Amino acid sequence: MNRKKDKGFESPRPFKLTHQVVCINNINFQRKSVIGFVELTLFPTVVNLNRIKLNSKQCRIYRVRVNELEAPFIYNDPTLEVCHHESKQRNLNYFSSAYTAAVSAVDPDAGHGELVIKVPSELWKQGDDLKVLKVYIEFSLDQPKGGLHFVVPDVEGSMAERGAHVFSFGYQNSTRFWFPCVDSYSELCTWKLEFTVDASMIAVSCGDLVETIYTHDMRKKTFHYVLPIPTAAPNISLSVGPFEILVDPYMHEVTHFCLPQLLPLLKHSMSYLHEIFEFYEEILTCRYPYACFKTVFVDEAYVQVSSYASMSIFSTNLLHSAMIIDQTPQTRRCLAQALAQQFFGCFISRMSWADEWVLKGISGYIYGLYLKKTFGVNEYRHWIKEELDKIVDYELRMGGVLLHPTFSGGKEKDNPTPHLHFSIKHPHTLSWDYYKMFLCKAHLVMRLIENRISMEFMLQVFNKLLSLASTASSQKYQSHMWSQMLLSTHAFLKSISNVSGKDIGPLIKQWVDQSSVVKFFGSFAFNRKRNVLELEIRQDYTSAGTQKYVGPIKVTVQELDGSFNHTLQIEENSLKHDIPCHSKSRRNKKKKIPLMNGEEVDMDLSAMDADSPLLWIRIDPDMSILRKVEFEQADFMWQFQLRYERDVVAQEESISALEKFPTPASRLALTDILEQEQCFYKVRMQACFCLATIANAMVSTWQGPPAMKSLFTRMFCCKSCPNIVKTNNFINFQSYFLLKTMPVAMALLRDVQNLCPKDVLNFILDLIKYNDNRKNKFSDNYYRAELIEALTNSLTPAISISNEVRTVDNLNGDVRLILEEITRFLNMEKLLPSFRNTITVSCLKAVRQLQKNGHIPSDPSLFKSYAEYGHFVDVRVAALEALVDYTRVERCATELQWLLVMVQNDPTHYVRHKILGMLSKNPPFTKTSDSALCNEALVDQLWKLMNSGTSHDWRLRCDAVNLYYTLFGLTRPSCLPLPELGLVLNLKEKKAVLNPTIKPELGVGAGMDTAASIGIHGVGMSFTAVDEEPDPISLGVCGVGQPPQGLKRKAETPLGSPPEPGQILQQQDDDVRDVRGAGRYKIRFNTMEEEDIDMETVHDSQAFIHQHLNLLERPSTPGKEPLSVEQAMLSMPATPVPSFSKETTSSSSKHGGEHGGHHHHHHHHEHKKKKKKHKHKHKHKHKHESKEKERERDNSHAYSNSPASGRSLRSPSLSD
Amino acid sequence: MADPAVASGGSLHLGGRGGSGSGGGGSGGKAATSPAENYYLARRRTLQVVVSALLTECGFESAEKAAVETLTEMMQSYISEIGRCAKAYCEHTARSLPTLPDTVVTLVEMGFNVDTLPVYAKRSQRMVITAPPVTNQPATPRALSAGQKRTHPSHIPSHFPEFPDPHTYIKTPTFREPVSDYQVVREKAASQRRDVERALTRFMAKTGETQSLFKDDVTAFPLIAARPTTIPYLSALLPSELELQTLEETDSSEQDDQTDSENATGNNISDDPGADKENSMLPPGGVAPAAKASEDNVIDNPYLRPVKKPKVRRKK
Repeated sequence: MNRKKDKGFESPRPFKLTHQVVCINNINFQRKSVIGFVELTLFPTVVNLNRIKLNSKQCRIYRVRVNELEAPFIYNDPTLEVCHHESKQRNLNYFSSAYTAAVSAVDPDAGHGELVIKVPSELWKQGDDLKVLKVYIEFSLDQPKGGLHFVVPDVEGSMAERGAHVFSFGYQNSTRFWFPCVDSYSELCTWKLEFTVDASMIAVSCGDLVETIYTHDMRKKTFHYVLPIPTAAPNISLSVGPFEILVDPYMHEVTHFCLPQLLPLLKHSMSYLHEIFEFYEEILTCRYPYACFKTVFVDEAYVQVSSYASMSIFSTNLLHSAMIIDQTPQTRRCLAQALAQQFFGCFISRMSWADEWVLKGISGYIYGLYLKKTFGVNEYRHWIKEELDKIVDYELRMGGVLLHPTFSGGKEKDNPTPHLHFSIKHPHTLSWDYYKMFLCKAHLVMRLIENRISMEFMLQVFNKLLSLASTASSQKYQSHMWSQMLLSTHAFLKSISNVSGKDIGPLIKQWVDQSSVVKFFGSFAFNRKRNVLELEIRQDYTSAGTQKYVGPIKVTVQELDGSFNHTLQIEENSLKHDIPCHSKSRRNKKKKIPLMNGEEVDMDLSAMDADSPLLWIRIDPDMSILRKVEFEQADFMWQFQLRYERDVVAQEESISALEKFPTPASRLALTDILEQEQCFYKVRMQACFCLATIANAMVSTWQGPPAMKSLFTRMFCCKSCPNIVKTNNFINFQSYFLLKTMPVAMALLRDVQNLCPKDVLNFILDLIKYNDNRKNKFSDNYYRAELIEALTNSLTPAISISNEVRTVDNLNGDVRLILEEITRFLNMEKLLPSFRNTITVSCLKAVRQLQKNGHIPSDPSLFKSYAEYGHFVDVRVAALEALVDYTRVERCATELQWLLVMVQNDPTHYVRHKILGMLSKNPPFTKTSDSALCNEALVDQLWKLMNSGTSHDWRLRCDAVNLYYTLFGLTRPSCLPLPELGLVLNLKEKKAVLNPTIKPELGVGAGMDTAASIGIHGVGMSFTAVDEEPDPISLGVCGVGQPPQGLKRKAETPLGSPPEPGQILQQQDDDVRDVRGAGRYKIRFNTMEEEDIDMETVHDSQAFIHQHLNLLERPSTPGKEPLSVEQAMLSMPATPVPSFSKETTSSSSKHGGEHGGHHHHHHHHEHKKKKKKHKHKHKHKHKHESKEKERERDNSHAYSNSPASGRSLRSPSLSD
Repeated sequence: MADPAVASGGSLHLGGRGGSGSGGGGSGGKAATSPAENYYLARRRTLQVVVSALLTECGFESAEKAAVETLTEMMQSYISEIGRCAKAYCEHTARSLPTLPDTVVTLVEMGFNVDTLPVYAKRSQRMVITAPPVTNQPATPRALSAGQKRTHPSHIPSHFPEFPDPHTYIKTPTFREPVSDYQVVREKAASQRRDVERALTRFMAKTGETQSLFKDDVTAFPLIAARPTTIPYLSALLPSELELQTLEETDSSEQDDQTDSENATGNNISDDPGADKENSMLPPGGVAPAAKASEDNVIDNPYLRPVKKPKVRRKK
């Protein structure tokens, strides 16, 4: 692979940022607005630095000064609306590439940005001696939809009393949402952060709190933070609120913050954080890199855990009291994750997106080590298996996950993941599920590396990386050294080879540079004559998500005489492997059988094949390949494996295998495991469910009481009266988890009529009835929730006579009992809410199940009321899940609408994300099924949602894309009316060829693009193409290396006029959507001399103005592009006036820009009509007209070029 | 433990009496209500007669009722004082009954010339007053005989006060032996709690807004309507005061025996101390930041440092 072999880091920017000041003077909770400024100190690395590109989204920028001089600037965000909103284009391929292009166009890692500042010409001269530039930007945010989240409860009292707070959030690099910056993980600088907040509030941010000073009126105070360690902007965060402060009693430099009234919970939840600290510092032999650490717990968190430099923001729902069992390990895991990311991710940052896997992998890996230490090896191996199963399942289902994508030359053809409906080129285009799997795979691969080079070397590598970084970080004034704090795949691999001396190239090639997993099928035969085990291992490497594996594989064979490891070589054509056996098949000697761990046990070998000494065989027992193994061995072998193999992974594998062997022997093996207290509790829990499955398969021959009943009685019921459960005492967690699980599994039992047996139901009802938690020091809310789940599991479909309406009277007796319990639980929860409202969550699921099974009328209103904002988030999600299910089952358009409206309007980002996620998982219909729901309006609505409605949240937009994909697939939704014929023939566009109905509206109407400035470029292109005439302007555009995404969003046709040959040609050119295309133009026109800087300024400031006009008109919907925006530019590109740019820059007439929009609009129509008529014949006239328009445009441009007037234009927002 | 049956019986008895007395008092005003009151009223009436006689002796034809009343009061006070003092003197000398010298000393002490007393007593115009009507000494109400009255043990001199009535210290169980059958107890506790819960939730459902699972019969399974709260995480995360409270309350006496026997049957880990500890760790409502802050003052943490005053702006 062509991984970057060069050592150093090459900045994509013509400057180096060294220091940034962020000062937020005012945070208004009432209005949800923020005002502040930033000051970036940067060193140009080229002479004549004339433009500075920064990232900024949704910020309103008032003024920009460079070294005290007012500087003109352009603000253009192509991701606001990905495709032209009037476009009839509705296929996802089109959208995906447009979106990728839009994201690329502002990608800081490629040196781009939404905000382009023109360095005042006075400073150009300075450029020669590369003097420092200070860029000062004043900005404000009004009701931010992304980046910062305000939580303002609607109650009486001051903001502090209400518990109002605000915090920054985002997926990957999203800092640009709340202040202008270089939003890249690879641009490090030192920071000075100042936040002025209400005196009753606390501002927690990155770095060291130097001092807190009251303002002069003593009503506010300013928090001054200094972050001396070079840090990337995406690792900067802020949270402000009336927090309660807890200084960690073990580590005084660690401070915890929580919302009012939660301090006791915070104290308990944070009481073990110091252990995590100690653990990481010990294994990494490195001190925590920052001088302090802060944890902040906020409501309505975007994700449970997010780590930033020296602070982490958590969901407040992770806090718990000492009474809660189940939440405790989860919270500890979250803390450990956050802390691992402090070292790798915050302190050491990634060099590029392609190197993300290294950092996520390392932090995930050391987090795994913490799990192993804290929760034990069993838990760790169980977790690894779980993660492995997850990634294997995902890749086999959805196609490969690629850790280290390489993009050579940026050509679309090189897309390494053609199976995906999104691009993996940018973090912001990734589907959330994919990203989660990416994280999962990253840490698994780290573990594979560890297997290869040993943990000792692994930790040495980490230590080396950290020491390098901390040396670099202490170089205060040598910013060129700071790139040592960036980690690349190459540097990581080099470090590994230096430290370990081992070549892990093949491993990296297999798992990092390539996507997909391995799928093995194994079977064996025992050859008695040769005393040889003939093992056959086949692979499936043709189906999606699979790859071929060549290399060593470990096989463990447990024989009568002991356990033996064999390493086999998987090669191209060798399927069969002969493994000599050590023991003869003699069993008359009654001796103990040695196990792998040295233990010797007695076994009952009667079930065994008399000829074979094999007890069981395991392929790749250490999970050192990312694989799925389907292995065939006899049921008694699985049973032996379950009983006697001490590895939990082996036990779990055998349990899932035993599901296929419903025999009394399997039953016995499972029951024995269930009873064995030494056995890992999660294995026992899994055994419960397997036992239920087996019992159902054996229903006709089952002897004795229902499965697990007597076991449960023995373990948990009173000796004197076996029908009554003991009063709760959860001091033994293993039996607590078993107590919770067994009823749930038992409820899955079915009798011959496929009903839940009566005595099982009564048993569960008795458990509920006799549940007594008064003497318990732990809360039983999770247990009660599981009992409700057990009731839910016991439900079977109602026998319905015709399609009668469900009424109370014809309610089945058992169901009536169940319903009564659920009603009572749900009502009691209102009076005595349980922790995280677990009981309500279970009840809602139960009600939905009752509805689904036809016991009670299917009705969404209950769920709707619980889904409203203002309920606990878990409850909302459960209610929404029920609604999503209702929508699917009932195919209800109104509910779908209701959900989609909530996606657009809900204040909680997590809930919006969750709804789309659930809709994708449980879609009301799919691309392969027909549904009345699938109609044009829905297509438009979803299109709008992903096109412009979700521009403030990368994750949400990708969720919307996912849903669109699930519902309609990659191509044009089938429910849309067939386009008119004869319009299509676009041979260049491969995707279009696949489905001729994709782009029906192409090829008509020249230059009706309504996008912002990017769209203008597109128009420019189309004109040049049509006229086959060199166009300096479009040349300028391309020459500057402007993102090409504009190119493909050209030429929509509202007029629907018939196609002309010329237009088709134009279309083809328009469709060029990659750098290649731009390059072609460049080549074609490169004879033209052009000052592209000026040209670009012209373009962009034009767009900027229009955008602002638009903002003024419709400030609340920045995602929508105004019709008028681009139309003014229409004539411009078609004008082959070489002197145009000079004209522009020299133009100083200050025309009122206020009427610009309408004016241009008018002209535009006129112009378009004319052009159609005279496109080929009247070029000169055309040009003439264009020139006129050009002037108009210039006027407005000049207007934006003056900062002073620019400000007055934006004055309404200033006055806010 | 006090015998509740006895106690309640007694109070009922008194209550009945009191009720009838107040009925009589409503009409007569001074009507006697109880033996003790009767006793005192009779005394007082005698005293009034005495005062009237003395007034007549002194030559008054008539006297206002209020004046007589005042004089009676004075007289009574005087006599009471004599009695009290005399008793004090007698007790001072370790006796229990006042003797004549005690009274004499008292009178002297009160500035009364004792010598004039015989003369005054033998004066001619002395009016003879009929003896006060015989009223019963207010007997301490007969205690319900409960058990044997205890006599003094040998080491206590007999002049010491007697033991109080046995009912004041004897425990008389009136309830039946509690059912100790574990199964029945658990059964009972469970159904009792279920009934309470059901009644409570039904009540809440009846009095408030509800949601229903059935369209035909909205009363069948009423669900208390879901109401959004402004800060939902508080109730979801904090162990509610009510929850802790009910945990304690339901722990009370009545169930103790049962849970004990239940613990004996199998649940042998006593976690009472644990429960207490947990409660102390989680103060209801849970706000103790002030205490924490003072404790942390020794720690140098930037967030605990006092907020600085703004610098005075220099004049430009």
